[in-house]
Amino acid sequence: MAEDLAAVAAVAIEDTEMSRRSERSISTALAAATCSLLGTGVPTAVDAQEEPTWDFNTSLLYYGEDADRVQELSLKAIISRMFADDRVLTFGLTIDGLTGASPSGAIPLDGPQTITNASGNSVYTVPAGQLPLDDEFRDTRVAITTNWQQPFGDSSQVNLGFSGSKEYDYLHLGLSASVSRDFNKRNTTVSAGFAIASDENDPVGGTPVGLTSVLDIGDLSNRAGKRDKDVLDFILGVSQVISRNLVVQANYSFSNESGYLNNPYKILSVVDGTTGDTIGRVPAPAGGPSHEFVFENRPDGRTKHSVYTQAKYYMDGKVLDASYRYMTDDWEIDSHTVDLRYRWPVGNANYLEPHFRYYTQSEAEFYRLSITDGAPLPMYASSDYRLGNFDAITAGIKYGWKTRNDNDMSVRLELYQQSGSVPGGQIIGNQAGRDNYPDLNAVILQFSYRFKK
Amino acid sequence: MKIFLAIGILLLCSGCSSMGVEPWERDILAKDEMQLTTDALEAATDDHIYFSKEASSGGRGFGGGGCGCN
Repeated sequence: MAEDLAAVAAVAIEDTEMSRRSERSISTALAAATCSLLGTGVPTAVDAQEEPTWDFNTSLLYYGEDADRVQELSLKAIISRMFADDRVLTFGLTIDGLTGASPSGAIPLDGPQTITNASGNSVYTVPAGQLPLDDEFRDTRVAITTNWQQPFGDSSQVNLGFSGSKEYDYLHLGLSASVSRDFNKRNTTVSAGFAIASDENDPVGGTPVGLTSVLDIGDLSNRAGKRDKDVLDFILGVSQVISRNLVVQANYSFSNESGYLNNPYKILSVVDGTTGDTIGRVPAPAGGPSHEFVFENRPDGRTKHSVYTQAKYYMDGKVLDASYRYMTDDWEIDSHTVDLRYRWPVGNANYLEPHFRYYTQSEAEFYRLSITDGAPLPMYASSDYRLGNFDAITAGIKYGWKTRNDNDMSVRLELYQQSGSVPGGQIIGNQAGRDNYPDLNAVILQFSYRFKK
Repeated sequence: MKIFLAIGILLLCSGCSSMGVEPWERDILAKDEMQLTTDALEAATDDHIYFSKEASSGGRGFGGGGCGCN
């Protein structure tokens, strides 16, 4: 019995020393080991010795696109409470405010065009030569997340999470669970997890039936009610300590979405097969679109696979963080992402961190700039620029410092630029001389403040 | 596909057993800046921005989303 007790205590002590996050004292570990051996719970007096620790991580984000496109202000907080034995409860809150305009999906023309807005209750006019933007883009989003982290046995850990978010026209609810286990003196960690989500689209005016015409003001005859989307995610990962200053990670993820995957606000222009110009409605109605447009339509399923690898390397105080992700899906989109961060200490506690990210994707098989009048309608079509063929670069810098109270503050400024192109075979007639896929330029400015108590 | 993946992970793990450090050599690895996710808030922010603007998401963790922005 005494030997058993000593062995359990020794394991508990070793466990304490090896755990990166553990703040248990040896006496607490001994008490816990004794209690577990005796089959009793840890007395409250022991719990009281361990000060619960709070970690507050807060930030204010400004995201702004040029040319009157999307502007976002976002408040975020992640608050963790650490309990004894590495149990952690985390709560996250995000409040986003969005304004601005988003490309509708219609092409620019040499003359003005009038389009019914997404909710079907008014029209907007686009000047000649300009990309049609729907400026009805205004929303507030509130999102919450919770996570419970619980050690399981000597070297395993379980995480259970919930997420929910609400926008005016969208509801998301999700659950996640993951388990990880350490091997080889905690140098190898293998993890597996899954997440399920059920989302509901409830756009103003109803969800339009795909590839039906954009109608006159007040005509909602091609709109249906709320539509659902279900998402299932799996992830398998391994992280490995290579040496005292190098740690690497590799993840494989699988994601399956099913249900309503359209963007209810995106449309396509219906064009003449020779000139490439949008077909005008004759006579032009007073309260409706001046030209022919149809709502986009995407498949009702999507399966994605991705591989993510990351390395962190410590070099005499400086830290290089490099990652690469490959994604492929059954919409025939392939993407590559390279992300590099280099943390450079300045003085004792401050640092500068340049960040560079490169992203490239190929277009979805059903991406098309416009629909040709008179030709058979395709089964699926979308001109959403996010499903097109484009490259994106993010470049920026972050500066972090310690406040007088030893709390962490940081500010980062980044520029994001997307430049895409329409596949050559899709350009018809006059479309050739126009900028059908304008660059997107955005600024990301984020202040973060982190304190513990 | 999944079988290859499982074999790959097993091979990786068996190779890994000879790598790593002793518990008393974790001074550098224990630093905040050496954690795989150094700043959870910044990571969540970036995941959300790129989910809204690109056709890919996830990788580091779950696919994210939960918004009508895509």
